[in-house]
Amino acid sequence: MSDIIKLIIDGKEITASSGDSILIAAEKNGIEIPNLCYLKEMSPYGACGMCVVEAEGSPKLLRACSAKAADGMVINTQGDRALKARKIALELLMGDHQGDCIGPCSLNCPAHTDCQKYVAEIANGDMEEAVRTIKEVISLPASIGRVCPHPCETACRRQHVEEPISIAYLKAFAADEVLKNGKHILPETAKETGKSVGIIGGGPAGLSAAFKLIQKGHKVTIYDKMPKMGGMLRYGIPEYRLPKAVLDTEIEEIRSLGVEMINGCTLGKDITLSDIRNKHDAVLVANGAWKSSSIRCPGENLSGVFGGIDFLRAASLGEKPEIGQKTAIVGGGNTAMDACRTAVRLGAEEVSIIYRRTRDEMPAEDIEIEEAMEEGVIFRFLTNPAEIIGENGKVKAAKLQVMKLGEPDEKGRRSPVPVEGEFITLELDSIIIAAGQKNDPAGFEELETTKRGTILADERTFTTSIPGVFAAGDTTNDGASIAIKAIAEANEAAKFIDAYLDGIEIPYKKPVLSERSITDDMFTEYEKHPRIKMPQRAPEDRRNDFTEINLGFNKKEAIEEAKRCLSCGCHDYGHCKLIKYADEYCTDCKRLAGEYHKGFKEEKLEVIFRDQHKCILCGLCVRTCEEIARQGILGLVGRGFDTVIKPEFRNIDIRSICANCKKCAEVCPTGALKIIK
Amino acid sequence: MRIVIGEGSCGIAAGAGKVHTKLSSYLVNSDIEIGIAGCIGMCFLEPIVDIYDGKKLLKRLVKVKEEDTENIAVSLRNNDFEALKKYEISTEDSVFLEKQTRIALRRCGLIDPESIDAYTSDGGYSALKKALTSMSPEEVIEEIKISGLAGRGGAGFPTWFKWNAARNSEGTEKYLICNADEGDPGAFMDRAVIESDPHALIEGMLIGAYAIGAKNAFVYVRAEYPLAIIRLQKAINEAMEKGFLGNNILGTSFSCFLKIKAGAGAFVCGEETALIESLEGKRGMPRLKPPFPAEKGYENKPSNINNVETFANVAWIIENGGKAFSSMGTENSKGTKVFALTGKIKRGGLVEIPMGLTLREVIYDIGGGIRDDKEFKAVQLGGPSGGCIPKELLDTVIDYKALNATGAIMGSGGMVVMDEGTCMVNMARFFLDFTTKESCGKCVHCRIGTKRMFEILTRITEGNGKDGDIELLEELCDGIRSGALCGLGQTAPNPVLTTIKYFRHEYEAHINEKKCPAGECAALRTYHINEEKCKGCTLCAKKCPVNAISGKVKEAHIIDITKCIKCGQCKEVCRFDAVEIK
Amino acid sequence: MCGHCCNSDLSLLTEVFNDMNGNGDNLISVLQKAQDIYGYLPTDVLYEIAEKTGNSPAKVMGVATFYTQFRLKKVGKYLILLCKGTACHVNGADSIEKAICEELKIQDGDTTEDGLFSLKTVACLGCCSLSPVMMINEDTYGSLTPAKTVEILREIRGREAK
Repeated sequence: MSDIIKLIIDGKEITASSGDSILIAAEKNGIEIPNLCYLKEMSPYGACGMCVVEAEGSPKLLRACSAKAADGMVINTQGDRALKARKIALELLMGDHQGDCIGPCSLNCPAHTDCQKYVAEIANGDMEEAVRTIKEVISLPASIGRVCPHPCETACRRQHVEEPISIAYLKAFAADEVLKNGKHILPETAKETGKSVGIIGGGPAGLSAAFKLIQKGHKVTIYDKMPKMGGMLRYGIPEYRLPKAVLDTEIEEIRSLGVEMINGCTLGKDITLSDIRNKHDAVLVANGAWKSSSIRCPGENLSGVFGGIDFLRAASLGEKPEIGQKTAIVGGGNTAMDACRTAVRLGAEEVSIIYRRTRDEMPAEDIEIEEAMEEGVIFRFLTNPAEIIGENGKVKAAKLQVMKLGEPDEKGRRSPVPVEGEFITLELDSIIIAAGQKNDPAGFEELETTKRGTILADERTFTTSIPGVFAAGDTTNDGASIAIKAIAEANEAAKFIDAYLDGIEIPYKKPVLSERSITDDMFTEYEKHPRIKMPQRAPEDRRNDFTEINLGFNKKEAIEEAKRCLSCGCHDYGHCKLIKYADEYCTDCKRLAGEYHKGFKEEKLEVIFRDQHKCILCGLCVRTCEEIARQGILGLVGRGFDTVIKPEFRNIDIRSICANCKKCAEVCPTGALKIIK
Repeated sequence: MRIVIGEGSCGIAAGAGKVHTKLSSYLVNSDIEIGIAGCIGMCFLEPIVDIYDGKKLLKRLVKVKEEDTENIAVSLRNNDFEALKKYEISTEDSVFLEKQTRIALRRCGLIDPESIDAYTSDGGYSALKKALTSMSPEEVIEEIKISGLAGRGGAGFPTWFKWNAARNSEGTEKYLICNADEGDPGAFMDRAVIESDPHALIEGMLIGAYAIGAKNAFVYVRAEYPLAIIRLQKAINEAMEKGFLGNNILGTSFSCFLKIKAGAGAFVCGEETALIESLEGKRGMPRLKPPFPAEKGYENKPSNINNVETFANVAWIIENGGKAFSSMGTENSKGTKVFALTGKIKRGGLVEIPMGLTLREVIYDIGGGIRDDKEFKAVQLGGPSGGCIPKELLDTVIDYKALNATGAIMGSGGMVVMDEGTCMVNMARFFLDFTTKESCGKCVHCRIGTKRMFEILTRITEGNGKDGDIELLEELCDGIRSGALCGLGQTAPNPVLTTIKYFRHEYEAHINEKKCPAGECAALRTYHINEEKCKGCTLCAKKCPVNAISGKVKEAHIIDITKCIKCGQCKEVCRFDAVEIK
Repeated sequence: MCGHCCNSDLSLLTEVFNDMNGNGDNLISVLQKAQDIYGYLPTDVLYEIAEKTGNSPAKVMGVATFYTQFRLKKVGKYLILLCKGTACHVNGADSIEKAICEELKIQDGDTTEDGLFSLKTVACLGCCSLSPVMMINEDTYGSLTPAKTVEILREIRGREAK
């Protein structure tokens, strides 16, 4: 009966048994034909249209799952027509598929930390595993957890229920908890490669790159001009937000992996870029942005005028800068908040914020603004320094231009405009200009720079104008940003440095991902459970010293908070056949998007959680339940576009009819079915 | 004297039943017999009352109203045919029938569909007798082969080939199935045949069953045809009584049983594998082919499926010989084809013509051209699987090949005529709305693809079309055509493709100029009042739901287009035709 | 038994099941007969049919929701089937639908509050030459205009009010 037949697939002459489908014949010979609704154990179904192939002499595409292989057939699985049909099929499916491959938290994190995973691990009480997960990306979790402005939380979907998950604090909690127990979660390091990398700058970028590169077996040396490692984390962020003892511990962990750390080493003075280049096989420039920007205001040269980060650095070095009784900080960002609150702690009696817009436009985080207000900082919105008035070369007052918000522009942003002739004079002993920061080009003259004076680095590969020299973080391209962005760049740069050292190139393709668009009714099903407040020291108490103001979660609180996570990211990402093919065939998975089919979530099948939004109606679960499990609990309901799959049974105990075999979830090609028990 | 009232569904809908009742009451105690017939196909003249003397048609009265019946009855009693003249069919309208050649419809409207005697006395069941007693199954198939009969349901596949495949299929239990799930909106010839001449279908099926060796046969009738089901069931019962159905038919060893299965409302069940699923009591979702129904059909047994019109030709072919049939038509399309001529046509109804006539001949010579003397714009053939053929191609001959070349298809015979007031983009949208609703949802290309096409067409007709939409539609059409699982999906793009092909400028006008040249798309209309015609009756202003119309009594009114919601009520109420659409 | 809101007299189905065994009726035929009895398909009836036909409830539900003829909700005393076939479309079925919806204040698929009318648009009633066409229960109305349609509906309503 089973005669041997010969046919050609993709130019390869193969043999198969008569009766084999083209798909089976191909598979037997190691040729994979994509499919989403096919399972060897069951008869072919023909829904997905992914397995279409071209056959010589046939004007129509054949579905390889059902078309029988025949002697002498010439099949092309990669022909243009077949590829086009598959692409359309996938674009149609993706345009009707509502799910997040990756949670918005991770997507919005510049470093793509797997927030959902570690939050879940925290919810499970497994802090060590959580730290392990975080350290895949962030080498300084306790520190970053305290200071990160957490873009993850900005994107967190839970805010549509009530408030976002406290992702950053949870991270700090897990890391603290592990360190408290004297545990150090450290990655394995590969065998030594004999290659070495010199890193200029020991801030978050430099340390992150070092952490990554040492794992790859390379020798790493960090050169830093300051007395201690940590960069802006140490010298730009006040102690009351990030105790330096925490930072020290985490830096020591990195050092313990074998990273050589040289402090007090200034480029151009103690060593040159070419020295470092010559000493190492590759160099990463990550020296940050340490110069305060000017606001081009008369009187800026007077004594008693400080740059924001200069002031913070002096304070953190214990230098007690002379700010007197009355000081004002110009700016509305996080540095301004750090500066004003540091000024409070240094004993100034009247600390003001001078900001030319209103609170709504302030770039600083809300919580920081609130905390500063609690600590007695006066916010002078809609004012802008017109002149710093001096007496004997020393600041005496500031003449402030009163501003108002102009008409909104196309983007709806309202720019401040001066109210003509209206000024306020503010008596001052000092003024701190926290209006941004710049990098210092000294020592990097050999490298090509951008118009704004930053080092020009390729945005994907982080290469600079000198081969073997890479650059990342605040010192490059767009300049200063948040720590996690610098970490993200350093991690990527490390990948390319590693590849460079191995002499390979990393091809680039932006992965195709599914992202759910948000609708109003999407979150109505959830019970409200407000975010757990971080316990804090009282303002009147904390404003007197630099001791950390946050008291930290206890374990119960942390777990409770972590359990609020909606787990937006798909459990199936990584196994999902749909996204695998979409990534292979499509470039824009929302090109053919339109109205979505009716979706819903339900847990009627107790052991299986079903998310109909992700269902692609391949019918595998229905057929498996009927043909393999012989239960017939699942069925198609409705017709056409709005067909859904629903379990249907009376109000009787589900266990009496569902064999709990979980086969339906196993065969689901997407994340529509999830085993929950 | 005998009078016969045409009582097919549409005749009844037009009032034939009431006419019948009244005439009966007026003719009580007369020697005038009253009988019924099915549908003669002259739907534009319904209700129709024929007056016979024996088998001779004396008079044909048309558009008979209830109030005419007394007068007619009196005239009949008095034998005063002169008085009936005003009800009589005009010579012009008679052309409608005279130009036709009827095979499938040969008895429709002429005999009483509810009487087997009427059928047998007209020569019915003699072909069956001939086949069973003097021909082998192979000879029957050979005769059908000679006739060149092809599937009339749409695909045009040679009938003999299917019969032969089913005959040669392994297995002793085989099924013959008649597809009477006439789902194409705009086609109703199958209904007419069943309602008007059900035994012709039964006889054709019996011959088919004999040819392939089937003992069981089904007619799958769509649920929307209750009268057809009633008449067919009656015919089956009578045929059983008379021994044309059941065991040992006509005393031969051939036995066959026929059952009606009523569909439950799903266009996709016209697709043969979906029909089989539905016959089995399942969701009508198409199966993968292969295996074809000839190998594994109903209950996985060899099955053969033909359409009603196909079967209705069979007895004639056996009786008159395959050659007689193949002598009509063109090189690649033999015999006759029935069309349901509808839309903006003067004389609409069922038209059976030999293949090879041109579209123009059918539309103008038989159909009398466009209603209200408007301009012909396009004719839609083949329903949701077919396409729109423009004026320039009116001389296309009706045969499978020539019609396919235009991008349309022969289809089951829906022929919907459109005039200048029909928007072709909206027409495409109409069909895609249909396919979207009728898609079974199994395969991706059809389920989501038709939905997307519908959305794009909708936005174009609403004035939100984007640059690149035409190309996107074409791309989707191409993808759906090659990727969809069954015929419904594969042909769903045809209405879009043909309208883009022949009326691209209309799409472009909608997208680029935000105008609907036909003035049909509400969102793109502007209403305005012609000052010359407006008499200032204020009716429109009173009717306007948003008070967009102003003006003084007896003076021309004005529509404020910024307020106008384009509901069209002003145009509807205006008695002077003063409201115009731009 | 089913625990749902409906409480149908299931004994009415006895004959249907007897017929089924006699004629070899398929699931669709059984559902059609059940709908003829109850006017629609209540959930408990579906479960009963599942049990007696040996099908899983999921399968019965699948069939009942696939075909447009089946109704899972009660319909009005007068069921309006409005044809939206090609010929009717060309001859203005949309304006008829609008007129019905406005007159009855319902949408396609809905039933009026008083339970008198339900509206369902259908693909084609096969009366193309009388287009636009609607059927109200057993009666067909052809060559409709919006005004004529409203008149027909008001006439029925008037008749019912008496």
